[in-house]
Amino acid sequence: MASGKDRLIGWCLVFLSSIIFIYYTIWVIILPFVDKEQRIHYLFPEIVYAVAIPLMTGVLGLLFIGSFIVTTLLRSKPKDKTC
Amino acid sequence: MIPKLFQWLIGLSVFMSIWVALVFDYVAVEFSKSNRQIVVLFPFYLLVVFAGYSLIVIGYRVATFNDCQEASEELKKQIQEAKQELTSRGFKFE
Repeated sequence: MASGKDRLIGWCLVFLSSIIFIYYTIWVIILPFVDKEQRIHYLFPEIVYAVAIPLMTGVLGLLFIGSFIVTTLLRSKPKDKTC
Repeated sequence: MIPKLFQWLIGLSVFMSIWVALVFDYVAVEFSKSNRQIVVLFPFYLLVVFAGYSLIVIGYRVATFNDCQEASEELKKQIQEAKQELTSRGFKFE
C-alpha cells in the first residue's frame, strides 16, 4: 500500500476530478434543457466560460510543461559538459 | 490488422465528419436551440471528460501505489549485513 501522504493526495485528485466531471456534465449537457427562470442557473456561469476556462487551463498547462522542460534542459546542460 | 493509431484516426475522422455535417447543416436535421448548443459543444465536452478521466486514473494509481516498505527495510538490513561482513574481511568503503 501507498504511504499516508500519497494516499491522501491520490484520493483528493480522484475526488476533485469527479466533482469537475459532475459539475461540467450538468453545466453543458443538462442545463440547456432547464428553463432560464430556474434558480439553478445562478450556480453556473455563462456557457461561453464552459469553453473558455478549459481552453485557458490547457494553454496555461502546456506553457507550464514547456517552461518546465526548458528549465530542466538548461539546468542539465553544464553537467553534461563536465562528463 | 490496422495499427492502433489509424484505428483512432479513422474513428476520430468519422466522428468529426458527422459533427461537421450536423453543425454546418450538411444534413437537414432540425434542432431546437438547446439541442444545437449541446451538439456544438459535444467534442469539447468529450475532451474535458477525457481529461477528467485521466486525472481520476492518475489519482487512483497514486492512492493505491504499491511501494513495498517492508521489502525496502529488509533490503537496507541486508545491505548493512553485507557491509559489516565485507569490513570484517578487510574491505574498505570509501
